[in-house]
Amino acid sequence: MEETESSNLEMCELLADYAVRLLGSGATCIRIEKNLTRIASTWRKEASLTIMPRHVHLTLMDSGGVNAVTVISRNVKSAISYDLNTRLSRLSWKIADEHIPYKEAVGLYKKAIAPRGENRWWVLFAVSCANASFCRLFGGDFVAMGVVAFATLCGYYVKQTMLEHKADSRVVWIVCALISSVLGATAGLFGLGSTPEVAMATSVLYLVPGIPFINSFSDLIDRHYICAISRFIDASILTACLSIGLCGGMALMNMGMF
Amino acid sequence: METLEILEDGLFAAIAAIGFAAISNPPRRAYLYCALIAALGHSLRYILLNHPYFAFHIVVSSTLAAFVTGCLAVLLSPMAKTPAETCLFPSLLPMIPGIYAYRFFGAIAMCLFRSDESNFMHYFYLMATNGITCLFIILGMVIGATLPIFIFKRISFRATR
Repeated sequence: MEETESSNLEMCELLADYAVRLLGSGATCIRIEKNLTRIASTWRKEASLTIMPRHVHLTLMDSGGVNAVTVISRNVKSAISYDLNTRLSRLSWKIADEHIPYKEAVGLYKKAIAPRGENRWWVLFAVSCANASFCRLFGGDFVAMGVVAFATLCGYYVKQTMLEHKADSRVVWIVCALISSVLGATAGLFGLGSTPEVAMATSVLYLVPGIPFINSFSDLIDRHYICAISRFIDASILTACLSIGLCGGMALMNMGMF
Repeated sequence: METLEILEDGLFAAIAAIGFAAISNPPRRAYLYCALIAALGHSLRYILLNHPYFAFHIVVSSTLAAFVTGCLAVLLSPMAKTPAETCLFPSLLPMIPGIYAYRFFGAIAMCLFRSDESNFMHYFYLMATNGITCLFIILGMVIGATLPIFIFKRISFRATR
């Protein structure tokens, strides 16, 4: 009996950590539940999961509800990583399909979560090009695209640097929106191109937290209301910070909106 | 509406999708799928918005295009060997109504600094129209894009198998 309880606790700790990392990587609640249940049922366990804004509660038990153990794991704030999401999802299928036991799965899990550095210069370049393309999609001319690319390059560089130094994300959003909107306003200030208002408007759009917004609606459809509201509020606060930075930039540059 | 305009729309949507995908650190092979799905989805929205015979409202166009984007992402995700969201969400981001959101927040700021009634009502009207349009576009997009994940559950959650 003691051995079962001990192994249930170890399994539960591993699965709770798995859930927290998957949540941090930007997975939706339905995916976390499905992956977790898949692994637990491979080990002939029943799992019951509650995803809260700051914690994950996981109860693991043997079939029939005996030897239940509960682990509460604190959510880790991390950048969205679909690479990690993919690796963890693939691991759940590997465990299920190959009936991998717990002890062997621990090694595979550690391998899956090992940090893999992303090239920050590539991200910086890609985001700048993306925001310039966004400007074009909204009707901006090539001059406006150039201004937006430069404004994004500077703003995103500051974002990367501040986040590396563990700055509060809300402060980061305000500062980056301020920088990008001030630079985006230069098209209007110096009379560059024929669509300066589009340059100004799109210079900060790389800061819109699109994925958390989409995730919150996905959770809402799956009736994970608490998590949906939590994600929605998080994303709304960042959007509000973006607006504060944008308004500050417009005020500094003495730019009207309409 | 010319073919060149549709292709241009698709090209810039693809570049935007690759860039926004880079923020969420996807597996490398996912970039190609994000670009392809975004190009097709955004071009479809462009056609629905600008067709001379059946030009739809932007909310309807965005919802339909997002649904098609969602279906493509779910159906292609087993080939990309990634969760459907990896291909879907970055592909959807170029459709986000940024200009409406910008005007909405700008109008709020203008309301704050205008005390006379006629000016205030003008900016309040701009705030309401842009805000409502923005909200319904986002709602339509998100519901349209997420539904295929739930409709094709078996494919969506087996893509990484």
